[in-house]
Amino acid sequence: MTAPTLTRTAQQWADAFAKASNEDPEIQAHGKDFTCSYLLDATDHAFVIRVESGRVVQVAVDPGPLDVRYQFAIRASAETWRNFSKPEPPPMFHGIWAASFQRDMRLEGDLLVLMQNLRCITRQLELLRTVGSPV
Amino acid sequence: MSRISPVTGHYVTVEVDGLEYKVFYLENGTGQPLVCQHTAGCHNHQWRGLLEDEQIASDYRIIAYDLPRHGKSDPPENTEWWKEEYKLTAEHYTNFIIAFCDALDLKDPIFMGCSFGGNVALQLALRRPDRFAGIIAVEGADYSPGFYLDWWQHPHANAAQVCASGVWDLMAPQSPEADRRKTWFYYTQGSEAFKGDLYFYSVDHDLRDRLGEIDGDRCPLVMMTGEYDYLTTPEDSARTAKAIKNCTFLKMEKIGHFPMSENYPVFRLYLLEALRILKQRRKTPVPA
Repeated sequence: MTAPTLTRTAQQWADAFAKASNEDPEIQAHGKDFTCSYLLDATDHAFVIRVESGRVVQVAVDPGPLDVRYQFAIRASAETWRNFSKPEPPPMFHGIWAASFQRDMRLEGDLLVLMQNLRCITRQLELLRTVGSPV
Repeated sequence: MSRISPVTGHYVTVEVDGLEYKVFYLENGTGQPLVCQHTAGCHNHQWRGLLEDEQIASDYRIIAYDLPRHGKSDPPENTEWWKEEYKLTAEHYTNFIIAFCDALDLKDPIFMGCSFGGNVALQLALRRPDRFAGIIAVEGADYSPGFYLDWWQHPHANAAQVCASGVWDLMAPQSPEADRRKTWFYYTQGSEAFKGDLYFYSVDHDLRDRLGEIDGDRCPLVMMTGEYDYLTTPEDSARTAKAIKNCTFLKMEKIGHFPMSENYPVFRLYLLEALRILKQRRKTPVPA
């Protein structure tokens, strides 16, 4: 397990996230058609993640207002993402449905794209339990 | 050496509300019937751990049925069901459970249901306390809005994966991965019934003004809910139990919305306590 470090930069987190996803056996086994782009808004930092055929091909770190396109957004406070990213997340921080129903996470944009890719997105975000918090 | 499970499967024909169902159920054990209802959009394999629990099977006849339209229980035999949208109601759901218990000629059964089964358990406690010797509502509450969603059957998304991954977070991260994956797999199989089940769960089921009519002395009632359940939280169940006369609530630690399926070894500890409470209540005469 990769221990999250406090000194890691947002770019280093983005690189670790992309590597974990691209090396994940489940995503690589089932992600042939996993193609989408989404904003992970962690308040203190934001990332636009672009996935093509199951591979993370770009993570834009703190993009400017008009820099990159994305299809849907997952937004939450930094504190929520920190809880979400613990190896054993506490109740109600243990997934995007739980945190959206019971905490301050918000799912926005074209939710159909989220639903179309839900299996792999769910797995990809669960990798935060080993990659660590984006903020 | 062959390794054949003591669990057996049967079909029984059940007639209710003018409909005829061929209902599949699994059973094991001898003693007081313990009738088990799976969660919405799922089937009786969620009770696989309980069905093979030798200690409980030595005292109880464990019966886990597939609700019609789930698992091996087909939609009604005598209607053109494909011409109507499936929307489960509290009335039909409770009538079916009573008819199923009657069809098997069950005497003094305990009813246990989870999630939409936990909610119908409360409906049974309200409507037919005379028919059951005890009721266990798992992950149930007076009201559970918010899950009657169009996403479960959206034609532009993979319904099997939306249903399965949509309920993934309902399980606790501490539950064994293999059991969570099995539960996920079951949920890939039931999307056609899931949404109609949730019409009951999130829309038709609303007992917020009727909890005072449920009498836990007449039919002993235990509620239990996992702390990782974001749909029916422990707070929701505790609030419900508090408003019911003589109802015990057990909060289950480090487990979620599918406790019997995601982590049976943890669930069984709470179940044994619930069964003990029910047995004790039955022995204690109710003051006149």
